[in-house]
Amino acid sequence: MKALLASLAAALTLATTSFASAQSFPERNITIVVPFSAGGPTDTVTRLVAEAMSKDLGQQVLVENVGGAGGTLGAARVADAEADGYTLLLHHIGMATSATLYRKLPFDTLNAFEYIGLVTEVPMTLVARKDLEPTDLKGLIEYAKANKDTVTVANAGIGAASHLCGMLFMSAIETPLVTVPYKGTGPAMTDLLGGQVDIMCDQTTNTTKQIQGGTIKAYAVTAPERLDVLPDVPTGSEAGLKEFDVSIWHGLYAPKGTPSEVVDRLSKSLQAALADQNVIDRFAELGTEPSPAEDATPAALKAKLEGEIDRWKPVIEAAGQYAD
Amino acid sequence: MDLFSNLALGFATAASPWNLLFCLIGVLLGTLIGVLPGIGATATIAMLLPITFQLEPVSSLIMLAGIYYGAQYGGSTTAILINMPGESSSAVTAIDGYQMARKGKAGAALAIAAIGSFFAGTVSTFLVAIFAPPLTSIALQFGAAEYFSLMVVGLVSSIALAHGSIIKALAMVVLGLLLGLVGTDIYSGTPRFTLGIREYADGLNFVAVAVGVFGVAEILRNLESEKTRTAVITKVSGLFPSREELRAIVAPVLRGTAIGSALGILPGGGAILASFASYTVEKRVSQRPEEFGHGAVAGVAGPESANNAGAQTSFIPMLTLGIPANPVMALMIGAMIIQGIVPGPNVATEQPALFWGIIASMWIGNLMLVILNLPLIGLWVKLLTVPYYVLFPIIMAFCSIGVYSVNGNPYDLYAVALFGLLGYGLVKLRCEPAPLLLGFVLGPLLEENLRRAMIISRGDPSVFVTRPISAILLLIAVAVLVVVFLPSVRRKREEVFVEED
Amino acid sequence: MKSLSFDKVNGFAGLLFIILGGFFAVQAYGLDLGTAFRMGPGYFPLVLAVILIGLGLIVLIQATQVSGEALGAVAWRGMLLILPAPIVFGLTVRGLGFVPSLFLTALVASFASTRMTILRALLVAAAVTIFASLVFIEALGLPFRLFGPWLGY
Repeated sequence: MKALLASLAAALTLATTSFASAQSFPERNITIVVPFSAGGPTDTVTRLVAEAMSKDLGQQVLVENVGGAGGTLGAARVADAEADGYTLLLHHIGMATSATLYRKLPFDTLNAFEYIGLVTEVPMTLVARKDLEPTDLKGLIEYAKANKDTVTVANAGIGAASHLCGMLFMSAIETPLVTVPYKGTGPAMTDLLGGQVDIMCDQTTNTTKQIQGGTIKAYAVTAPERLDVLPDVPTGSEAGLKEFDVSIWHGLYAPKGTPSEVVDRLSKSLQAALADQNVIDRFAELGTEPSPAEDATPAALKAKLEGEIDRWKPVIEAAGQYAD
Repeated sequence: MDLFSNLALGFATAASPWNLLFCLIGVLLGTLIGVLPGIGATATIAMLLPITFQLEPVSSLIMLAGIYYGAQYGGSTTAILINMPGESSSAVTAIDGYQMARKGKAGAALAIAAIGSFFAGTVSTFLVAIFAPPLTSIALQFGAAEYFSLMVVGLVSSIALAHGSIIKALAMVVLGLLLGLVGTDIYSGTPRFTLGIREYADGLNFVAVAVGVFGVAEILRNLESEKTRTAVITKVSGLFPSREELRAIVAPVLRGTAIGSALGILPGGGAILASFASYTVEKRVSQRPEEFGHGAVAGVAGPESANNAGAQTSFIPMLTLGIPANPVMALMIGAMIIQGIVPGPNVATEQPALFWGIIASMWIGNLMLVILNLPLIGLWVKLLTVPYYVLFPIIMAFCSIGVYSVNGNPYDLYAVALFGLLGYGLVKLRCEPAPLLLGFVLGPLLEENLRRAMIISRGDPSVFVTRPISAILLLIAVAVLVVVFLPSVRRKREEVFVEED
Repeated sequence: MKSLSFDKVNGFAGLLFIILGGFFAVQAYGLDLGTAFRMGPGYFPLVLAVILIGLGLIVLIQATQVSGEALGAVAWRGMLLILPAPIVFGLTVRGLGFVPSLFLTALVASFASTRMTILRALLVAAAVTIFASLVFIEALGLPFRLFGPWLGY
């Protein structure tokens, strides 16, 4: 009984102080909702950032996984949450693409959130089974055009990074190939390793170690410059493929109506977290780097989201595939 | 062959006092959380994951692996004691384990599960150590056609799960397959059978379905005869298995270990078949198949060994390829990345201490589990003397937490209620839930691989017979069918059926 | 064929399979079927649903030929109170918070038994709530709020 009384008392004091000014934010644990299940790349990014943010804010930053429906369930949860800065959302590029992929979203992507800042932009790699004939990207494009009925492109399901990148590759080379969807990156990568499918385009977080280990072949990275972790892999434009520059960017959001002082505090905290050496080191091992301080701002994230919605709308509509 | 130096390195790493301590903590925590009803290995690991982040990479992974075995063991305990499986693997243990418990042999059932698991764990740890790389290359031969044929074998064997009418068991499998297809079709993005509810877009949650059709249905069954029946479980007789029982489990444990080790290697979901497959085999080779479903020791020993062996060997694709074979392995990979180790084909050469340390700790963890749990059996069995009317509100509370903690989705809780109702209805109509669960896990794999194989072959169905592994698997399926419908076997089954009426 | 009796258990089982099969068949038929070599989302489920209906018919026919066990007592009170328990938790965990929601869940479930008195039920529910709050929230740090916004927190 004592424990119950004690926790009741603690809760009461918590309640009375929560009306205090935003100056003293944060006064209790903050929860970042990840709209995917635990263990995936977005979850990993979030946990690393959350830990660093805890240090800066002096309060525990917890991670809650609300997976399902391509990330839209978790986003909807945060859109409906109280706008007090204690419930945040860390979502990737899917925030922009779901606006087109889902025709019936329960929230208005552009008007349901306050922006805190960009977290990281993970480049993609165009990879293939290790015994595929072509030796460079040019050869691959020719090969794909000549064998478009038999070349298979794996992806991790509708709306996944690999699905978006695959669509972009096919639209860049103006050749539809045979798409083979999987449930998640794991099984797709397994079949690529086993040579059951031909090519895939996925985040460096999933492919770097395999490329370094020589179990798959890399044709291009989708970044403007070559990556430190994969110095031998050319960029798309180097090899003559324009408009094949894509990254899986992650952003941190709060529900619409969160006080601007709170958003600023969170944005500062995000910048501090992204400058944390542990975060930088871990991100580097994943083949990515934290967004620079000037991008970890509300304005930069807003511009990114708006630009990306416009960019992907025609690509998705041309493919004619929707997720609902 | 520097296997011995590698193993020595592994044991030196795993047996450092700190790592031993973390292994122990992991095993203990895993068991304690996993033994709460409705909370299986995946939920337990997701809950305990954050507390491993503060540790050294090797220690944290050793602890995490310990949590995994512990949780799995704890899950089997609740399956046996209160018919509440938290994972697909322990659903099979529930069939005969719970019947043993009802006959007062809960202690024996738990001990058999522990011993079987330990043996299987030991053997498969060494399999991992010796054969990891070559086995991986075999596993990669499995494409969509092979997985489809493997699932067909699983499906055909499911008939053995039934101990009543074959037709009804088949209907339950088909119903399970259909329920497994609920959710978004990955090939077209079309939502299927979701009734427009977005929360079911990723399908029905396995834990919700399992807790509903097994656990909740069982609670309701016990409540219906409250006035006439005083205790659910008759007197507990002896905590440990008798000498005859121990002798009887030797062969099932060996077979279960072999089946589990083989299926666990396949990254595309072979491990979920392990316990079902072992149960089928045991029932088929048994002198007294009529005992299955009524508390057969082989029905506990075989599947539990297979399950643990499969759990162990499912580390192979993760350690050698960096590929998760199941949601638990996906969590492990997430944990490794946070620790700064990105799993991939080079882990064994780049981080030998970590790689071999984890393998060695698997065995140590299993040893700790058996030492820890044999004395605990007495405690678990005591729990059964708690009056049922006190026990079931507690069960309902914990399964609500367990189901909700996986994805934070309230609709999963509504599914528990719905499947509780359906499960109870089916139990009343003498339909058994195990085949339904098997169908439920097989449904998506069966359809996905069938359609994928057809896409890759450009619509040519001959791939299923021209690819050798697939063809062999289909032959096995045919062989199983022939055995099932052989006159002698059928006569045996009918005798069983008559006996039941 | 002793009499024209109708075995209720198998009869209802057959009907249930036919109804469920019918539901899936109708739903699947509304989806794109495709062809056997190029299956759409509706093909595989439609085939399964038809098989389920067929098996249901066989069970139904068998019901007119053999008679089995009786249906037995039905746990109406249990169904009325056990099944809503997880629903209560799902509806209130975010609004009321973990503590009151779990307490309610355990309390509702408690009354499914005729042997439960009000005092005992309150005690059991309180004990479960305290234990779970300590283990899951305090010790493991699960991201659930102890008390939710509906209570003004």
